[in-house]
Amino acid sequence: MTDNFTDLFSAPLTINWTLSFRCNFVCSHCYSRDEVCEELSTADHCRIVDVLAEKKVPFVNFGGGEPLIRSDLYEIARYATKKGLNVSMNSNGWLLDAEAAKSLMESGFRSVGISIDSAEAALHDDFRDQPGSFERAVAALDHLQAAGVKTTMSSVISRINYRHFRELLELARTHGVKQVYLHNFKCSGRGFRNRQELDLSPEEWKAFYLEALKVKNETEDIAISFDDPVIASLPGYEENPLVKGSSCGKLSLHLRPNGDLTPCGFIPLVVGNILTDDFDTLWYDSPILQKMRHKEAKGKCNGCGAFEQCLGGCTARAFATTGDFCEPDPHCWK
Amino acid sequence: MSLLVRNPDIVWRTEQRREQEVIEALERGEEVAERGTVILMFSGMMHQLNLVGGKIWALCDGSRDESAIVDLIAAEFEASREELAGDVNEFIADLLQRGWLRHDG
Ligand code: SF4
Repeated sequence: MTDNFTDLFSAPLTINWTLSFRCNFVCSHCYSRDEVCEELSTADHCRIVDVLAEKKVPFVNFGGGEPLIRSDLYEIARYATKKGLNVSMNSNGWLLDAEAAKSLMESGFRSVGISIDSAEAALHDDFRDQPGSFERAVAALDHLQAAGVKTTMSSVISRINYRHFRELLELARTHGVKQVYLHNFKCSGRGFRNRQELDLSPEEWKAFYLEALKVKNETEDIAISFDDPVIASLPGYEENPLVKGSSCGKLSLHLRPNGDLTPCGFIPLVVGNILTDDFDTLWYDSPILQKMRHKEAKGKCNGCGAFEQCLGGCTARAFATTGDFCEPDPHCWK
Repeated sequence: MSLLVRNPDIVWRTEQRREQEVIEALERGEEVAERGTVILMFSGMMHQLNLVGGKIWALCDGSRDESAIVDLIAAEFEASREELAGDVNEFIADLLQRGWLRHDG
C-alpha cells in the first residue's frame, strides 16, 4: 500500500461538464450566466462519453447552466453510466419534481447536488432573483430522497451567508443530506462584477474558515467539504489533499457546451477541444495546464512558509483579478 | 473454491502511463515497491496500490481464487510460487480485512 500522490494522474478523475450555459435563473454570483456558446447534439455528447470512458475518467459532474434545461440529459447520463462512468450533477432544483427525480434515478445518477445559498427562504430567493426558488430547491431534495438518489447540498459562501452556515447545515440535516459543499467565492462572470458587494475580505475569510473547520471537526453526521486551497495556510490545518493548491488541471477539467476543455469553469482559457484534439496530448502537454501545475511563487507568496502546501491559493481567483496564475490569491490573509 | 471479488463500491483505475514507467524502472533494477500504479477511490478517500498489488487487485474479478492468482502473478513476474505465496496471502488478507475484497462462492 502506498499513499503518496506525487506523479500526474493518467487522466482527470473528474470532468465538470457544462452541457449548456442556459439557465432559468439569474443569480448574482454566477460565473456562467453571461456566457453564450454553441451546444452539441446528443450524438456528439455520446462521442465525448466514449472518449472519457476510453481514458477511464471515473467521475462526471454535470453543472451549468442548469443541466435539466437539456432534455437529453437523461439519455447522456444513461449512456455514460452504461460506459462505466459515475454520474452526478448540480442543479438549482427548480425543474426537479418527483418525475424528474425518478428519471434521474433511472438514468444512473449516483448523486445530485442542490444549490441553496441561505436557510432563510427570502434571502435565497432574493439572491437567486426567483421568488419561490427556496421552496422548490428544498422540495427537490425531498423528491430525490424519495426516489432513492443520494443528495448533496452546495452553497457558495458570500456576504449573505458566511455568518449563518450553521443554519445551512441544519437545513441539510432536516432533509437527510449527508454531504455539504461550502464553496469559495470565485470572482468570475457575474461573481466578478458583484464581488464588491458579495465577496468577503481576506480577514473575514480567515475567520470564516477557522470557525467552519472547527464545526467540520465537531460534526459527525454530515461531511463538510471546502474547495479552497488557501485554507492550507491556516495553522494546524492537517488534511492531506490529493494534490497541493488548486486541483483544476491536476485532478479535474471542465468541458464547455461546444466540447472545449478549460482547466476549470472559472478560468476561460481553452486547452483544446475534446472532439477534435488528442486527449492525452492536451492532458500531458498543454502549456496552460503545465503552467497551472508548476506555479512559481510571486509577490507575497515568494518566501511564504505556506507556499509548499497552498501554492498561491486559488489559481482561478488570482487569474481573474490579475491575469496571472502565479500571483497570490486575493483572498489570502497573510 | 473461494473466489475473490472486489468491493463494487470502490472506483478504481490502472494509471497506464505510470504503470509503464514503473515496469521500465523495475527492469532497470530500481526499487518500485512504493510507487503506485492503481488508484482506488471510495468514501471521498483515495489509495494507491503498487505494481504487484495492482495486478493482484485487477485479478480479483470474481473468477479466481487465491491459488490461481498466485500462479498468474508468479508467471508474470517470473518468480516461483513458493517465493510469492506468503506475500500474496498477506496482501489479500489485509484487503479482506479492510472490506475492499470479499470471498464469493
Ligand atoms: S502568501 Fe501565497 S502561498 Fe502564502 S498563504 Fe498567501 S496565497 Fe498561500
